[in-house]
Amino acid sequence: MPRVRASIVLIATLAAACHRTSAPPAAIRFLHTFNPEETRLFDATMTERGIVVDASLVPFARGRQVIAEILRAGTDCPDLIRIDATWLPELVAGGLLVQVPLALIGHDWSPEAAALAQLHAEWWAAPQAVDGLLVIRDLGPPAVPAPASASLTDLLAAAHAARTAWRRYPLGVRVDGYWFVPWLRAEGGELAPGGFDDAAARAMTRLAALFGDVARPPPSSGLEEPDENQRWANHEIAYWITGPWQFHQLGDRARIAVSPLAGAPRGGQLLVVPRCAKHPDDGWRLADELTSLPVEARFAAQFATVPTRNAALAEAPALSRAAYDALRGATMLPREPVTPLLFDDLNAALRAVIVGDASPEEAVAGVRRSWRRLTRQAAP
Amino acid sequence: MTARPRATASLRWRVLLALSVAAMLPTVIVGTLTIVRAREDVAREVNHGALAHIRALGAMLDRTLQDAWRTVELAAASWADAPGDPRDTELLLRRVRSNMPIVRSLSILDPDGTLRSGDPVPARLDVGSHSFGGYVGDVEILDGRPVVYLVVQARSRTGELIGVFVAGLDLAFVRKQISEALIDPGARIVVVDGTGALVASSQDTGAAGPVAVQGHRSLAGVDPAVDRALGATIEGTLSANGWVSTYRNLSSYQSRRGVRWAILHQQPERDAYALARKTTRDTLIIGGAALAIALGLGGFFATRLTRPLAQLARHADAIAAGSIDDPPPVRGPGEIGVLGERIDEMARRIAERAALQAALARGDRLASVGVMSAQVAHEINNPLTTVLGYAKLMLEGKPPGHPDREALELIASEADRMKSIVGGLLEYARAHRKGARDVAQAAGAGHCDPAAVLRHTAALLEPQLRRTRTTLALDVTAAAPVAIEAHALQQILVNLGQNAAQAMAEANIEGTLTLAARPAPGGVATLITVTDEGPGVRPEDRNRVFDPFFTTKAAGLGTGLGLAVCKHLVATAGGSIEVGDGPGGRGAEFRVVIPNAAGPT
Repeated sequence: MPRVRASIVLIATLAAACHRTSAPPAAIRFLHTFNPEETRLFDATMTERGIVVDASLVPFARGRQVIAEILRAGTDCPDLIRIDATWLPELVAGGLLVQVPLALIGHDWSPEAAALAQLHAEWWAAPQAVDGLLVIRDLGPPAVPAPASASLTDLLAAAHAARTAWRRYPLGVRVDGYWFVPWLRAEGGELAPGGFDDAAARAMTRLAALFGDVARPPPSSGLEEPDENQRWANHEIAYWITGPWQFHQLGDRARIAVSPLAGAPRGGQLLVVPRCAKHPDDGWRLADELTSLPVEARFAAQFATVPTRNAALAEAPALSRAAYDALRGATMLPREPVTPLLFDDLNAALRAVIVGDASPEEAVAGVRRSWRRLTRQAAP
Repeated sequence: MTARPRATASLRWRVLLALSVAAMLPTVIVGTLTIVRAREDVAREVNHGALAHIRALGAMLDRTLQDAWRTVELAAASWADAPGDPRDTELLLRRVRSNMPIVRSLSILDPDGTLRSGDPVPARLDVGSHSFGGYVGDVEILDGRPVVYLVVQARSRTGELIGVFVAGLDLAFVRKQISEALIDPGARIVVVDGTGALVASSQDTGAAGPVAVQGHRSLAGVDPAVDRALGATIEGTLSANGWVSTYRNLSSYQSRRGVRWAILHQQPERDAYALARKTTRDTLIIGGAALAIALGLGGFFATRLTRPLAQLARHADAIAAGSIDDPPPVRGPGEIGVLGERIDEMARRIAERAALQAALARGDRLASVGVMSAQVAHEINNPLTTVLGYAKLMLEGKPPGHPDREALELIASEADRMKSIVGGLLEYARAHRKGARDVAQAAGAGHCDPAAVLRHTAALLEPQLRRTRTTLALDVTAAAPVAIEAHALQQILVNLGQNAAQAMAEANIEGTLTLAARPAPGGVATLITVTDEGPGVRPEDRNRVFDPFFTTKAAGLGTGLGLAVCKHLVATAGGSIEVGDGPGGRGAEFRVVIPNAAGPT
C-alpha cells in the first residue's frame, strides 16, 4: 500500500508539473533582419535558453520601409526590432523608439558599439553587431601580401601586383553606393546631400577606372554576391573589399586575412524597442539576452561577426577580433534620417557610369537633383 | 510439508512470469519501434509530399510574379528612353495590360508621387527614389479581391529617377491555381503575405482548418502555423491544434523585389497520419494476439515444466516419509526427465537397502531362532527320546484292551509329534548354519542338475501322492546346472510338494502336482515351479508364508518352518522364491529362481 500511495503521489506531482509547464509563457514579438543561417542559430538559441519568441523575418532590402510603416501604423507592433544602424536616425526623429534602460547601458560595450547605439549622446539601441567595410585578402596558397597601408593607393598597387594570368581581376569591389564611400572620402567628400560635388565626380572616375582594370566588370544579371563567392573559392580574388557579414559564406577561415581600408564606412546592427511595443520590458529582456556574453560569443564563433561587448570580443575567434581591429579606423556614415535613402539614386548613377551610359559629371548632377527632391520630400 | 506445494506453485508462476516477460519484452519493443517508425515514416512522407507540393506552387507563384516584374521593368526602361510622348506612353501601357491579364491597374507616377499616366494608386504606396529599385508590396484587399502592387523605378540613361511604374496585380489567379491543385480531401493550401494577410486559400468557402480563413484580415497571431511560416528561415512543419501544417517562406532575403509571402499546406492530423494510425492499430492487434499466444504457450510450458517437478516433490516427500514401494515413474522433458530417473533410481536403491536391512534383521532374527531352536531341541531331544522309549516299552507290555494302553499310546503319539517338531527345529537350525557357512565361502560353492533333482524328488514324493490320489507331472526343459546343492534343492522341492499334496488333500481335491524346470528369461538362471490345483494361497498371506512359524494348516499339523527353510535355502543360493496363483487362477504356484552355475558342471 505504501508503494501504491507513493506512485499515486508521484503521478499526481508529475501531472501537476506537466500542467504547470504546459501553460506557455507570453511570446516576445521580435521583428528581425537576420539572414537564413543567423535565423537558424537564433531559433536554436532561444529554444535552448527557454525564451519564447514570436519572431518574424523582414527582408533586409525592405526592412527600413516595412519597419517604418509598421511603427507609424502602431498596430501589430513588435516588442523588439533588429535594424541597421543607418535606420536609427529616421526612427528616432519620428519618435518611434524608446530609450535604453540604464541597466543595459551599463554593459561593457566596445566604444564603436556604444557610438552606434547613441544618437545625440542618448542611448536608443542595444548594439548587436559591428560591421563596415574592410579588406580581406587570400592567404592562398599562394598567399598575397598585405597592402602597404590602408590607403586606396596602396590597395590598388597591391592589386596590380597580384594580377596574374589566371587572376585577371584580383580586386573584389561592388558597384554600390556603400562601396563608393571610401573613394568619395578619399577625394574629400562625404555621403550627404550637401557634400556631393566635384569630389564625387572624381571619386566616380577613379572607381569606374577600376572595372576592367583590376576589378571585374559587374555581371549583367546584377547579382554580384554569387559571382564574388565563386571567384573567391577559385582564388581569383586577392583583395576583397567587403564586410564581416561575408565571412560565414567563405568556408575556410584560415584563408582569410583582414586589413583596414582607409575611409571605410562603419556600421552595425542594433536592437531597438518601438514606442508602440506592448511589452517593452520583454523587448529589452530579449535584447539583453541577444547581447549577452554567451550569445554574442556563439554568433561570433559561428559567423565570425564582431561582438559588441568587450568580454565577448575577448573570447571571439581571431577573425572577429581582426575585423574589429580593422574597423576601429572606419567612420560612421552621417547620422541623418536621409542617409539610408541616398543609396538608391547613387547606386543607379554608379552603375550608369561604370557601364559607360553616363559620364561621372552627368551622373553626379542627376544624383544631386534626386537628393534635393529627396530632401524636400523628407522634410516635415 | 504444506510449504512444498506452495513452493511448486510459486515456481510455476515464476516460470510463467519469466516466459511472459521474455515474450512481452520483444513484443513491446518491436511493437513500439514499429509504431514509432511508422509514425516517423508517415510524418516524413507527409512532410515531403506537402513540401514538394508547396514548393512547386510557390515556385509557380514566384515565377508568375517575377515574369510580371520583368515585364513592368522592361516597360519602365522602355518608357524612360522617351518619357515625353503621351501617345507612346498610352500605347505602352495598353500593351502591358494586354500582355499581362493579371494586371488590374497600371500607372506611371512622377518621382514625387504625382500620377502621370494610367490608373490612380493608393496614396500609402512608397514610390520615392529610396525604394531601392522598386519592390513587390504586401497584399491589399480591394473589392474583396487580393491585389499586390509592383513598384518599379524608371531611370534615365544616367541613372536618374524620372518616374515610377506601379502595377496592381490581381491575385485571384493564385486562388485559382491552388484550388486546382490536387490535394487530399480535408487538406487545404493557404497563401499569406508578410503581414499574415490571406492572399488565397483552396478552401475559401469552408470553415475547415486550424482557423476559418473567412473573416480574418490577417492570420498572423491567429494561426500558429502562419506565425511560424512568417518567422521561418525557409520551410518547416508544425503540428498544432490537431492540424499538420507544412510551410514555406517565400520571402526573398535581400532581394530588391522584397516579396514577403508564405505558402502553407494544412491537413488534419487524423487524415495526415491515417496510415500511421492504421499501422498502430494493426501493430497493437497483432502484438496483443502474439502476446496472448505467447502467454498461453508460456502457461502451457510452465505447467508442463513444473508438473514433473511437482511429481518429483511428491515423490521425494513419499521417500522422506518412508513410502518407497512401487513409485510411479516420473517423466519429463530433458533434464527433468533425467532427474526423475535419478530419483526413481535413488528410490529403488533406498528400497533395496531397506529390504536388505529388513532381510538382515530377519536373518539375524531367524539365526537367533535357529540357535535357540538348536539348543532347545538338543536339550529336549534326549528326555523326549527317553519318554518315547519308555512309552513304547510300556506299550509292548500291555495287551490290546489294557486300560493303560490308550494313555500310553497318546503319550507315545504326542512324544513322537514333539520329536517331529524338534526335528524340524534342528533342521531349520542346520539350514541356517549351513547358509551362513555358504555365504562365508561365497556363493556358488555347490551346484546340481535340476532335472535329475526333480526326477529324484518325484520318485520320493510318489508314494505319498498316491495315498492322496494326487497326480504328479514333470515338465523339465532346463539343462543347465544350477548353483545350489542337490540335497538343498531336493529339500525345497519335497517341502513344496508335500505342502501342495496336503493342501489338495485337505480340500478333497484330486488334482495334479506339477514339477517343472525351464530356463529363466535372460538365460542366467533356471525357473523351477511347483504347481498344484488346491485352494491356493490368499493374497494377504503371500508375503507372510515364508516367515518362520507361519502356517495355515490346522493346529498340530504344521510347524510353520518348512517354507521358511525353503526361502532361506533359496536365498542362500542367491535365488528367489515367490508364490502366486496357478495357471488360470487355480491353485498355487511357487516359483523358484536359482542362478545357473558358472562354468562346466
